[in-house]
Amino acid sequence: MSEKTEQFDNNNSPEFTDDAIRRFLFGRLSAAEHATLEERLFTDDSLEARVRLAEFDLADDYALERLSAADREAFEEKFLRSAERKRQLNISTALRDHFASAPTVAATASKGTKASISERLQLLFGLNQRVWRLAFGAAALAVLVATAWLVLKESHLRRAVSPPPIVRSSPSPSSKRETEHPHGPSSPPEHHTTPSPMPPHEPTGSPVILSVDLFSDASRDRDKIPLIDLPKGEHDLVRLQLALKLNQTGSYQADLLTVDGQSIFSSQAFQSAETNTSKVDFDVPAALLTRGDYQVSLRRAADGSKKTVASYYFRVK
Amino acid sequence: MSLAKKLQTLKQEDFDRLLTWLDPDPERAGILYERIRWRLIAILASRGCAVAEELADDIIDRVARRVVDIQATYLGDKAIYFLGVMNNVHHEYLKRPVMPRLVEIVDDVYEKETTHLCLDKCLDKLSPHSRQMIEQYYAANKRAKIDLRKRIAAEFGISRNTLRLRALRIRGKLQACIEQCLET
Repeated sequence: MSEKTEQFDNNNSPEFTDDAIRRFLFGRLSAAEHATLEERLFTDDSLEARVRLAEFDLADDYALERLSAADREAFEEKFLRSAERKRQLNISTALRDHFASAPTVAATASKGTKASISERLQLLFGLNQRVWRLAFGAAALAVLVATAWLVLKESHLRRAVSPPPIVRSSPSPSSKRETEHPHGPSSPPEHHTTPSPMPPHEPTGSPVILSVDLFSDASRDRDKIPLIDLPKGEHDLVRLQLALKLNQTGSYQADLLTVDGQSIFSSQAFQSAETNTSKVDFDVPAALLTRGDYQVSLRRAADGSKKTVASYYFRVK
Repeated sequence: MSLAKKLQTLKQEDFDRLLTWLDPDPERAGILYERIRWRLIAILASRGCAVAEELADDIIDRVARRVVDIQATYLGDKAIYFLGVMNNVHHEYLKRPVMPRLVEIVDDVYEKETTHLCLDKCLDKLSPHSRQMIEQYYAANKRAKIDLRKRIAAEFGISRNTLRLRALRIRGKLQACIEQCLET
């Protein structure tokens, strides 16, 4: 053994201590001890087993440089006397080199701390073996690669496929709504819509009414004919307030004509809402008017006469 | 040719007769033969014989040639018969002139590398528990062996002696596995 002699209790062949066996291997027994051990070695199987183990132990001590200088010399001179013992030394050296750099639980134990349960389980199931480490590393790498591929693939898909705009279709009057909704009590389906882009802003509210007073005795001269600046709205009106010479109630019919007498628009002219006036209002859609001169022929609607009561002129600029 | 060396070829039939004399079962006979040879080498090496293996083979040869004469009448432990022949062979060896011992200086790198490879394979064949024990037992450290083994024994909940015996038995299995691996 090393300098510190280890004494172990041996139930088998107790008369031979481990130290005595090591001295036998070094050839340091006395003649009497030697004879006794040799004879027992041939007949006692347990002693044979102990000596075999002691050979391994001695080779390990030599490989790990645990022997004293004297013991090292005795090992080289007396012990290495067979090919088998030289193989033992080679294996002890290989074990030393193999476990020299591998972190083991023993290193943890040497630090004064007990191995954790996870470390024990790891060693119990052989997870500390190199092959397992390589396998776990390969598995972890495969998982990383697969995850990265999935992420990239999903991002490409998202860019390639944009969700189609959901167009809310207004139901046509002829659609059969009964087929769209199931019969019976049921919770209304959830309606999800994607807001469609807003149309350009248009002025909402009542149309613009441009009131223009027209007199029947107005001259048709270009310098004196009333000029009308039309409103721009599609639904705007030009209210031609036609002045009456005779303060008569009744209904009138007005005709919008070109200067050539071609009819453009006709409608009933109503008594003007303004009080104390003798006017009738003739509303003309501004969209019907373009630049030029126009004529309005007023006639009574009650008697069905087509005789013109008064004529009025205006110009659109 | 060396003056002190005589080589006699053990005839195959003598060898077969020897094995049969040791044990009728060929497998057990082979095991007994290896154990006897190991004992002879251990004793002769302990006695200071430089050529312990050669002397052990010489002893076996002589016993094998004598089996034909003694197998019918010999009684007792057959291993003891080898011990008697060993003493005679050892006495003859001591009378030989001391020859300078040839020291092998060739560093067999290939064998060492092969041993390492075989060790890896054989370690993988161990059970996880055995692997754990052997790792801890051979963990490289600067501390005294006794302190480390004391700690390891406490970890396993066994005595130091039990730890030593178990670890060395595992070591023996590794040895056998590696030797078999080296042969292939």
